[in-house]
Amino acid sequence: MKQDLDTAPAGAVAAPLPWWGRALAGGALAALPVIVIGLIVLMVAPGWVQNLTAMALINLMIVVGLQIYSGNSGIVHLGHSAFVGLGAYGMAILTTPLVMKKLSIPNAPFGLAGVELHWLPGAALALLVVGVIAWISARVIARLSGIAATIVSLAFLMVIHSVFLHWPALFKGNQGFFGIPKLIGLPELLLAACAVILIARLFRESPGGLQLRASAQDQKAADAIGIDSRALRRHAWILSALVCGLAGILFAVFSGTISPRLFFFQQVMLTLAMLILGGMASVSGAVAGAVILSLVLELIRNIESGVTIGGVTTPALLGLSGVALGMVIVLCMALRPQGLLGHREADDFLEKWRVSRTPGRNDRRDENATR
Amino acid sequence: MEYLIQQLLNALAFGAEYALIALGLAVVFSIMGLVNFAHGEVIAGAAYAVLLFAGLGFGAPLLVIGLAIAAAIIMSVALERVAFRPVRNAPVTTGLLTAFGVSIVLQNLFQLLVSPRPQAFPALNGLNVTWHLGPWAISSLQVMELAAALLAMLALSAFLGRSLLGIAMRAASRDFSTVRLMGIKANRVVAAAFVISGALAGIACVFILARRGGVTPDMGFSLVLKAFVACVIGGFGSLFGAAAGGMLLGFIEVGLLVLLPQEMGGLKDALTYVIVTMILIYRPEGLFGTRRDLGDKEF
Amino acid sequence: MLRLETVSVQYGPVRAVRDLDLAAGAGALIALLGPNGAGKTSTIAAISGLVPATGRIMLAGEDISRLPVEDRIKRGIAVAPEGRRIFANLTVAENLRMGAALRRDATGVRQDTDRYLSLFPVLGERINQHAGTLSGGEQQMLAIARAMMSRPKVLLLDEPSLGLAPLIVARIFDFIGQLKAEGLTVILVEQNAAQAMRFADQVCVLASGRVSYRGSPADLAGADVMKLYLGDAGM
Repeated sequence: MKQDLDTAPAGAVAAPLPWWGRALAGGALAALPVIVIGLIVLMVAPGWVQNLTAMALINLMIVVGLQIYSGNSGIVHLGHSAFVGLGAYGMAILTTPLVMKKLSIPNAPFGLAGVELHWLPGAALALLVVGVIAWISARVIARLSGIAATIVSLAFLMVIHSVFLHWPALFKGNQGFFGIPKLIGLPELLLAACAVILIARLFRESPGGLQLRASAQDQKAADAIGIDSRALRRHAWILSALVCGLAGILFAVFSGTISPRLFFFQQVMLTLAMLILGGMASVSGAVAGAVILSLVLELIRNIESGVTIGGVTTPALLGLSGVALGMVIVLCMALRPQGLLGHREADDFLEKWRVSRTPGRNDRRDENATR
Repeated sequence: MEYLIQQLLNALAFGAEYALIALGLAVVFSIMGLVNFAHGEVIAGAAYAVLLFAGLGFGAPLLVIGLAIAAAIIMSVALERVAFRPVRNAPVTTGLLTAFGVSIVLQNLFQLLVSPRPQAFPALNGLNVTWHLGPWAISSLQVMELAAALLAMLALSAFLGRSLLGIAMRAASRDFSTVRLMGIKANRVVAAAFVISGALAGIACVFILARRGGVTPDMGFSLVLKAFVACVIGGFGSLFGAAAGGMLLGFIEVGLLVLLPQEMGGLKDALTYVIVTMILIYRPEGLFGTRRDLGDKEF
Repeated sequence: MLRLETVSVQYGPVRAVRDLDLAAGAGALIALLGPNGAGKTSTIAAISGLVPATGRIMLAGEDISRLPVEDRIKRGIAVAPEGRRIFANLTVAENLRMGAALRRDATGVRQDTDRYLSLFPVLGERINQHAGTLSGGEQQMLAIARAMMSRPKVLLLDEPSLGLAPLIVARIFDFIGQLKAEGLTVILVEQNAAQAMRFADQVCVLASGRVSYRGSPADLAGADVMKLYLGDAGM
């Protein structure tokens, strides 16, 4: 597998890189369309398009975070939005100015009503909280595999959501938590999205990521060669939670207002549909699914709220986007369960294309294609 | 004393409801490895169906009960034909996600076609009266619910124990392809599972309607989640485990309601899930499950 | 009774069975021998319809190669599959009832049940026990009895001797001989060549999905073919 750099045929195939090099290069390739779209929007698009793009980027980060766990472990995770919420609320509680807190959560426990942190320590602390909760829940989830893990992840979402709703002293309950300082815009989100894509690729290509993917394929075989799949599942869960938590933190300081229902089923099914559409097994798939579905959904939302064509306004069709999302999942499962990109990353496609253009190497079989 | 008995009856009634729904899930899962998230929408769909019929003037309680069960069976079988048959031999995850997608589609269709707001359905309120037995006041609905659940379970176990199709279903839960080698059509066994599952959903629907007096588009989801949790505690794929897990869940919930102070009542669901998760730390395979039932049941 | 014409089975890029021809009249027993991976079990699965196959499979003059499994069983094929595959969570009686799933003559079913239980008294003793608690030999007896409950025209038997003590193997083969004598057509897959050849009318040795030798058991025993294709383990 490993070739010496000197003996590699020049120009035929890419020089073999260490895993992290491959991950960074591949991640950069996957992030490229995101950067291009982001920069175009940043330069020419009006404000409301910039806002929509920013929201799409946050969703993209959540999808990539979800991919880190589900894509590598093969277990469907339906509770990742809980971590997004935890990150967002952590940031909100820690960094909202005291004046605003007097209005929103004057009776917060643990003296939190009198805390106002700078954004950097605030974000770090919020991430730490997400990490601790992820660490605790990971110990439970990693013991389970298959369906039981999926159902417990969903139960986890219900637990966190229920705490948001029923602990009004800290989370303000059903109402929106407002007054969070708006610190960032599209450029920062663009940067963060790229970082998250690289992190996910690094994990996927790392020895641990490879082992986890192997154990998802065949648990028994993985056990036999001494892979500690439980520990790996735990690591993936925590990293996934941190990425989702980061997305939540950024969401809080982007929008300035949050409420529990934003981090519930609506978001779970949206991000899950994105991941499934693009292909769970690759980071590029997660990115592709997020980009495509963000665009399509925007169209559907316009229809949903009623369109005016030639003076006739169609009635509002509440639920249409939900139907569309559900259909995306159902149709993908029936027609292309591996998603649009299957198990390949963007750089795998590039490699395949390059190989097919190199004479004499056409017979090389693509190991990713046979499954 | 009276309070205790009242709470015991509460726990039994809740438990019976969860057991009915959990059994509906377990019947389908044990045969074809499908985690049917859309089961809750079958319940909600049946509720909307009787709502429609009641609007047309068919609102007599007995008629409503029959219609609810019939509607749930039709919907359950129809979902199998349309959505689940294409993924029948796919890995468990594919089936699970399909069912999740179906559930989302149906919830949003209810919103789109009926209304996002709750719809009142008073036709079954008559079932809920208070019976005075000596010193005790007992809700008729709870007694009926318990009785109906017990009857349904007895009927199910008689069917699985004695009828040829029932025996075939039990055999199929372990080895589907050998059942086909006996000349029994796979579609028949699967359809039977969905009919039973639908009937159980219909019965549950009647009691849910009678208790809540209305229906919402997302009604099914929280119910089915609880039923899943019941299945996970009982051991996924075991029918007995599903029923027992449902009952246990009823007792945990009512126990928490009794023990928790008033202002923390909202956290009942959260604590229930936490307790369930604790159980799973010590018995990841569920209380009545075997290791085999737990993992990915690949075909 | 049963005729295979150029039957092939393909799993992805692997061809497990290649252009197999086979013909078995009523009351004939054909033994399929050969090493692991030769395509014996795939042949059985192709006849029963559990795996898709190309070519033609004729049963009593009717082309059954396009029929699903269930319809082939209905037309008179029965399988005692590899690894026995009895329903471990059902009782012995329920297993037999599953075997007779397609029959509507209750009296006949009862007579057949009694017959097989008297042939294998040990099954009669354990009639209400879960089949998973039976020993390997008992499970094999049950698997064959279950297959026979459908009153088949053709019985497909996959490695009935696997993992069993010689004495039990001999008993099971005595029973197979008796069924053949009653006019049943049997396709027998076996690694235990000595037992298989006791009742075989024809022996087919498969290697890599092809027939590498075909003949009567007498020819095979006489020739060096035995050693050639089966090695010493064959004896």
